[in-house]
Parts: sequence; structure tokens; C-alpha cells
Amino acid sequence: MTLTNTGPDTHEVRPPGAIASVVDLKVHFQSKRGVVHAVDGVSFDILDGETLGLVGETGCGKSVTARSFLRLVPMPPGIAVGGAIHFRRRRPCQHCGGDGCELCDGLGRLPEECSQCGGPGCEHCDGSGIDNVDLLSISESLMNEIRGDRIAMIFQDPGKALNPGLTIREQIAEVLYEHRSEEIMERAGFDPEASNVTGTLVRRRATQRDRRPERILMSVPPFRSRRARLTRATDEMVAEALTETQIANPLKVMRRHPHELSGGMKQRVMIAQALACNPDLLIADEPTTALDVTVQARILELVKSLQERHQAAVLYISHDLSVVSQVSDRVAVMYAGRIAEVGTREQIFSEPLHPYTQGLLAAIPSGSHERGRLTAIEGTVPELIDPPPSCRFVGRCPYEAEQCRSADPILASFEPGHQVACFIHSPEPDSSLDQPSFARKTK
Amino acid sequence: MQVRDYVLRRLISLPLLIIGTSIVVFGLTRVGGSPIGIYLSHEMTPDEVTEIEERFHLDEALPVQYFYWISGVVQGDLGWSGVAAAPVVEVFPDKLAATMELAVTAGVVAVVLGLALGTFAGARRNRMPDHITRVVSISGASMPLFWFAILLLIVFWVYLGWFPIGRSDPDVWASIAHPTGLYTVDAILAGSFDAFRDAIWHLVLPAIALGYGATAIIARMLRSSLVEELQEDYVDSARAKGLPERLVLRRHARRNALIPTVTVIGLTFGFLLQGTVVAEIIFRWPGLGRWMADSVLRGDQATIMTYVMFTSILFLLVNLVVDVVYAYLDPRVELGT
Amino acid sequence: MVDTAAPRAADSDPAPDSAWRVRSRRVWELTTSLFSNPTTIAGLVIVVLMIAMAVFAPLLTDANMPDPYQMPRDWETPRAPPGTPGHPLGTTNNGGDVLYGIIWGARTSLRLSLIVVSLTVVIGVTVGSIAGYRGGKVDEFLMRIVDVFLSIPELIFALAIAAVLGPSFRNIILSLAVVFWVKYARIMRAQVIHVKQNEYVDAARAIGDSKLRIYFKDVLPNSITPIVVQATLDMGNIVLIGATLAFIGLSEAGIAEWGVLVSEGQAGISSGRWWASTFPGLMVFLWALAFNLLGDGFRDVLDPRTETTR
Repeated sequence: MTLTNTGPDTHEVRPPGAIASVVDLKVHFQSKRGVVHAVDGVSFDILDGETLGLVGETGCGKSVTARSFLRLVPMPPGIAVGGAIHFRRRRPCQHCGGDGCELCDGLGRLPEECSQCGGPGCEHCDGSGIDNVDLLSISESLMNEIRGDRIAMIFQDPGKALNPGLTIREQIAEVLYEHRSEEIMERAGFDPEASNVTGTLVRRRATQRDRRPERILMSVPPFRSRRARLTRATDEMVAEALTETQIANPLKVMRRHPHELSGGMKQRVMIAQALACNPDLLIADEPTTALDVTVQARILELVKSLQERHQAAVLYISHDLSVVSQVSDRVAVMYAGRIAEVGTREQIFSEPLHPYTQGLLAAIPSGSHERGRLTAIEGTVPELIDPPPSCRFVGRCPYEAEQCRSADPILASFEPGHQVACFIHSPEPDSSLDQPSFARKTK
Repeated sequence: MQVRDYVLRRLISLPLLIIGTSIVVFGLTRVGGSPIGIYLSHEMTPDEVTEIEERFHLDEALPVQYFYWISGVVQGDLGWSGVAAAPVVEVFPDKLAATMELAVTAGVVAVVLGLALGTFAGARRNRMPDHITRVVSISGASMPLFWFAILLLIVFWVYLGWFPIGRSDPDVWASIAHPTGLYTVDAILAGSFDAFRDAIWHLVLPAIALGYGATAIIARMLRSSLVEELQEDYVDSARAKGLPERLVLRRHARRNALIPTVTVIGLTFGFLLQGTVVAEIIFRWPGLGRWMADSVLRGDQATIMTYVMFTSILFLLVNLVVDVVYAYLDPRVELGT
Repeated sequence: MVDTAAPRAADSDPAPDSAWRVRSRRVWELTTSLFSNPTTIAGLVIVVLMIAMAVFAPLLTDANMPDPYQMPRDWETPRAPPGTPGHPLGTTNNGGDVLYGIIWGARTSLRLSLIVVSLTVVIGVTVGSIAGYRGGKVDEFLMRIVDVFLSIPELIFALAIAAVLGPSFRNIILSLAVVFWVKYARIMRAQVIHVKQNEYVDAARAIGDSKLRIYFKDVLPNSITPIVVQATLDMGNIVLIGATLAFIGLSEAGIAEWGVLVSEGQAGISSGRWWASTFPGLMVFLWALAFNLLGDGFRDVLDPRTETTR
């Protein structure tokens, strides 16, 4: 699959198999000392069903990039967002309700038809017929539909990412109520379309749209039993989600609070919560960093197997290249707010092109190094405030040349599937493509 | 430690504290010499004076006097109030009802307003509602109650004439009974709208004066807790699930932010209690506070002792309840020393 | 390919700073961050103005002889509104000049707060240190006393004490001191216990420092922060409560004290004479506000996690 040059022009061709395409993403923050260009023109694709590892050291902007998918970047201090994140929407297959059948090829999801052409293919959907939205510019309510349902995220420290005051059950049930309310109602034996009083009450409760008087009403005997039915149906679904992540005794675990569980358990809970609605894309922000090494291995295995089962794409963020090598199909290396190199796992690990990538690989302690020597990349990450128009690796790069100090290389294709932003491999920077694109996006 | 054990432990130390407090209070009243002054008048003969001394056991040794006092209290005899010219026990309930009505009203107003302001401000950090709340909270914590009350009086009673002072208009209440001593309740029970309105109207100014400081403290605490909670990862996690922002605020951030706020609400109770002394003086409210103020100025030891003991015990109980509630609410808290 | 760059020479470590330099640099950093907060600066400005007013009182007004703390009575112009010649802020029912009362009241307030805070800090820190250091029965006993004192609400306690001692300015000082020292005892004890567990105390013991020396050199300086914050806040609160006590009637009548003035001015309210109570009351508010802002600023800068009571 050939990936062409990416640039600010939103009409370039996107590979039809990509579930998401980041195009020239820019996220800037206001700080006391100036505007920090945390993410400064990042572009990459995530293909359907693959695991893309996004690697970089702390502060390179990978977390901000990940959060931009769900628009979770706080807008003060964030001040501007530019570029686009295209996402090919799917919806649960109405035939099997997400379980998998012939119609949806066992995925449980069907692509949403393109809103412009309705299927045949047009410019809007690049001929694929699948609808495509720009996550950075859709309305908040549409974004909320996608969050948790089509795109889910798991966070680094499960101890902090779970609400300490709520039980596990309550937290997982939330996402089910929000996106799978019809299924809950059907399981409990209710008609989701019912318009009588009972039906309305039940529906409002199942969608978390009930207000205090309705809640009080539902705790009274005639309605109380119906509430119990809903609760039981939800409990079942929560237990199913927990079982999937190999948690034994889901019924017991459900009733616990996060602080009663171990780190590994908490992360499993997070994963269960994220996969509860069978998302198309799972964003994992350093999910194993806060865990013990042994637990880490098991969680990685779990993510891998679940991904296969759900056929979801995974954007795996990490600073740890060795972890990334275990889980990713393709790898994107990020440095100082830009993508330095993208390629398949084999390409990156056996043929690293960017000096930074090479440095990262060399820094992994392994048996092949001389005893007692660790190779570190010299220097430190540059300040991202008003970055100068030079390559950001200047001062740390062993191959630094004159050209590197006066111009900034852009991501260009080296071989099929392998892109790199370095003058060594593409000597002609096109300065006209370096103009910032700044549309103030609705949050 | 379990919640139950913690409650037991605190309950056990309670009697000790109360006894300790009673000793301190008793000691206080005897520091300035014999408290006989309030019971005397100029025309008394030496015999009558001696008779009074014996009646109130003021001729005995101090520990004996203490014992007489305590045994009296246990039997329901709280002494004779010179200020009220009646046994303390008789006068206490009515005045208690008056003070409670005022304090509870002020408290409810403070909690409701304070929580609303705090939520408003915390969710809209650094924008207008936040700035307004900040001004209110900073001024509220330093506001001298006597000054604020006088200001309210000047503006709303002297100049605008919107609200009355005192507790009630005798004409309106001429034929209405006071079964509970709480005028608002009594009015409802008697079915009289005029009496109810009169009771409320008299409550407005003192309740606002009394509640202002508490509102400020509560709003400030909730605001800062809310701002802190909104920065936590679980809030992002909740948003990432697609929950509408109001659910995120209500069910996640605010619920956790309310936990430390609860302790503050308990604190404001002590605030309100002390405030009634001044508020009742200024608004001529016939409650415990004003009685205490008069007693203090005229050396009425029986009233002083009763009042101090009463407020201390109440204070201790409220603090205990607050601590227990806090421990119950926050599953993370370990109940220890 | 291009040859690799030569490794950089390792930076040589600069000589470590002396303890004095580290401390004074930290003081400088604290001061600058203190000044970055506008509300703290506002508080500081008001505090300075108030103290200046107090200190320069004899220069700002004609001191009333023989006792400048007694309000001067101008029987010719009682009940004068603000703007009357000779009485910019008006006079009270008894002809007392409100402006005089404001200025000398500041002096009174400064005396009150300084004396009370000094007393309470000294007593509280001493008791707290003993309790924290000795531990065991001594600690239990002292803390029981503290608990008893803390179970009586502050104002009510002070009221009762002042009532017993009799109405006078001196007695207000005494009663406030009795009520407020417990706060410091508690803070100090907690700090001592916390610091005691720290390693540098063990290190000092290992060197052979005597207990007293450890106390003054290690324990005390590191425990001082919450005390300073609380003392600043109390400078404001003491005047607040003191004025309240005076308002209720526990101070001597006729002295230049803000609470007393407000109380005197009450009589004129129903006739519309608002100035005699409003201006002195405003001063109490400003004083308390200023020290609260300053204290909060200290708290944010010195240790945001410190627990202090209002």
C-alpha cells in the first residue's frame, strides 16, 4: 500500500483501508513563556484492524496527538488546533447487534454509507463509499456518540483513570447506558420504542437521561421491579465485558471500588470498559507504564488477543520501543511534535532511516552491547516554543549537515510503506508546504 | 478501622471531653470570685444575703459546689437566671427554638447557595461566575458579622424599609398559638398565611447576615475541590466514554468534590452558632445568643454555664457526625488516629 | 557516511552552595513568587497602610490628653454627619470624632493582635513542642487539655472568659490568649512529630548533637512554616473577634477601639446616622481581609498542602 505525501491539502487521496487519517495535526499551548508547539504538523494513517505504535520520548507530543482523536485536549491552555483527523465511521450491524454474522463478516460493525453519495463513491469518501468525518470539526454531540462507542481510550495509570468513588460496575455500566441502551432494554424484555409512561421511564433510565423526580419515581414498587430488570440486564453485560478480559469472579469484582483491586486488575477493568461497545479504534496511552513488568506482559497479550477478536485498530502510544515492537504491525516515530519516521515493524527495526530512530534502537539495552556501556542520544529535546525553521534534531544528530540547520524536512516516502522526514533521504524540502494551517476548531 | 469502630471510639471519648469541658466552665465562673452578684440587690439585708448564699451553695468548697451543679443538671435543674428572673430550664426551650429557627434557616440558605455558587464557579473557572464567587468568598471569610448585619439594617430597614426587625409583629400573632416555638411551623399549623409571611419576613435579614460567612466558606471549598477534581484523569476517562458534560460534572467531578466540602459544612455549623450571639443582639431576636450576651454583661453565671456547656456539646456532636459522614463517603479514607 | 560527532566533555560539577546561600536564595524565590499574586499584594498594601496609620497616629491627629486612647468628646458638635468641618467622618452621639477613632483604633488593634499573637505563639509552640517531643503520657495529657479547649467554640469561650474577668481591654487580650494558644500547640506538635521521623534528625543524633540543639537547629526551622501562616491569619482574626467582644460590651466604654465605636454608633441607626458604625466596622473588615489575603498568599507560597484552621 502506497502512502503518498501528506500535506495540509485536505483533498489528497487517503488509503481506503484506513480507519483514521491524521492530516497535518497541529496543537499549540499557551504557556507563561510563549506558545508551545506541542504537536506541529503530524500526519499518519491507521489502517483497519492494525496496531500502530506511536513512539517517542516524554514531551514529544504523542499523548496530545492521541487525545486529539477524542478532543480531550483542554482548551485553555490549548489555544489552537489545526489540521484534520479523518475517521471512517462504522455502526453496529443491525443484523447481529454487534456479535458478528455473515453480513458484517463477523465484525459486528458495518461501514456507515457516505453521506454525500450514499454508497457508490465520490470525492468526499474518496471512492470508498464509506462516510468519513473530521473529528476535529464535528459537533460535540456527534463527538459524544463516537467517544466510547467507535473510538475508545485507555489511560496510563488505571488507579487515577478510574473514579475512586464509584464501583467498577457503575463505571462500565455508564458506557453501556450511553451507547447500548437499546440492547439493555431488549435484554431486559422492554420495547425500546414504547411510548407509554412505563416505557418512557424505562428508556430515560436506560439512557441516563432521567432527572431526580423520575429517579424517585422509579424507586417506588410498581416501577422498582422494572428498574431491577434493567439493572440485571446491565449487570450481565458488564460481567460479559469483564470476563472477556479474563477477570475471574466478575460478579464480585463488579461490586468493588478501584482501590480494592491490584494494578493489573484495574487495567483489565479499563480495557473491559473500553471494549464494551466494540469500538473500531482503541487508543492506548502507555497502558503498561504504571504496571510491574510481569503484569505488563500479560496485559500486552490480552490487548493483542482482544484486538484480534474485535478486529479493532489500536493506536499504541509508548516511550518504550521494546514494548512497541511486541505489539505493533506498523510504527510511527515521533520527535519534538513531528513524525520522524513511519513504517512497518520490520522496516523500522531492521532498516531504521531517521537518525533519531537509529538512536532509539541503539539505546535499547540488549545482549549485543558491550558490557557496561549504554548508548544514549546526546543532548535534550528542544524547547517547543517558537521552534526555529531547522530540523528539530539539530544538535543531537550525528549526521548533521548545513542543510539541516536552515530548513525543516517533511515526511516523504522512501519505499512502499516507509516514510521518513530527513534530508539524508529526501534532499528537496518544499518550503511552500510548510505554511501553518490554522482553523480554529470547535471543541 | 471500620466505620463502626471509629464511631464507637469517638463516642467513648465524648463523655470525657464533656466532663473536662464542664470543669473548665465551672472553674471559669468561680475565677472572678463568688458569682453571687447577679442575685443581690441593694436592699438586701445581711441575713438575706446569707440565705441566698446557702440556697445556691455558694458558701461551700469549690468541688462541692461543682458537685451540686452537676447533680442539679442531671436532675434537670440548671440554676436560676438572674437576667430572666426565672429558672434557666424554663426559659431555655423558647429561646432555643428561636435560635434554632434562625440558625437552621441561615444554614440551609448557606448550604444551598454555597453549593450552587461553588459548582457554578468551579465548572467555569476563571470566567465571570468564578470571579464573583471569589469576591464573595474572600469577603465572607473576613466579614465582621456585626458590621455586615448593621449594614443590612441600615439599607433594608432604615432606608428601604423592606424588612422588619425583631422576631414577629405582635398584632399578627395575637391569636395564634406557639406549639413548637418555631414561628414558621406554628404559622403553618395554624393555617395562617399572614403569620407565616410575617415570620419569614422577620427571618430574612438576620438569616442573610448570619449565613453570608458560611456561604462564602462553602462556595470557596467546593470551587477549589471541583477545580482539583476536574484535573484528574478519571474525568478525562469519563469524557472519553462519551458521557455528556453535565453527567461528567455531576456524577464524577462534583460528587468527589463534595466530600471535603462536607467537612466544611460541618465547620460552618460552629460558625453559625457563634454568629447567633451577635446577630440576635443587632436584630433584636429573642434567642439564646442574646440571652447569653446579657448574661455575660451582668454576670449571670447559671446562664453562662448552661449556654457554654450546651454549645460545646452540640459542637462536639456535630464534629463527630461530620467526621463519620466524611469517612463513610470517601471509600479511600482510612479511619485511624 | 558522515563521521560521528566527538563525545562532549562532561560538565564539571560546580562547587556546592553553602547552607546560607541556599537558604537566602530560597527566601528570594519565595518573595518573588509571593509578589506574583495580585490578591496577596493587595493584602500586603492594606496591611502596610494600616500599620502605618497605627504607628503614626500621634502625628496624624491631635492626641487626646491625658489618655490618647480615650475618645475625645466635642460636645459642641455631637451627631455630626461626615463632611462637617473638623470632623471629616462625622461624630458619634457623644461627639466623638469618628476619624480619630479610626486612626487610634488601628493602633489599638495593632497592640491587641501583636500581643495576643505573640503570647499564643510562644505558649502554643512550647506546649506543642513538649507534647510532640516527649510523647507518651505527657503528650496524652497535654492533648486532652487541648481537645477540651477546642471543643468550646472560640467566640463563646472568649465571651465567657472575658465575662468572668470583667470588661476591659486587658481582659480581652487575656481571654483571647487563653482561647487561641491551643491552635499553635496542635500545629507545632504535628510538625514536631513529623520532623522527628525524618532522617536528618537521626543523622544529627548520630553526630552527637544534644536534643536541645537538634530542636533549635533542625526541628524548629522546619516546623515554622505553618506557624507563620497561622499567625498571619490570626493577626486578622484576633482583631475580628476582639472587635466583636468589644461590640458586645466587654471592653471599656469610650476607648478608641473599632468594636466599641460600632456599638456606640448603634444607637443612631434608627435615626439614620449611619456613619458612626459604618466606618469603624469597615476598618475591622479591611484589617481582617488584608491579613487573610496575606496569610493565604503565604500559605500558597510556603506550602500549599499545609493544613491550617481559619
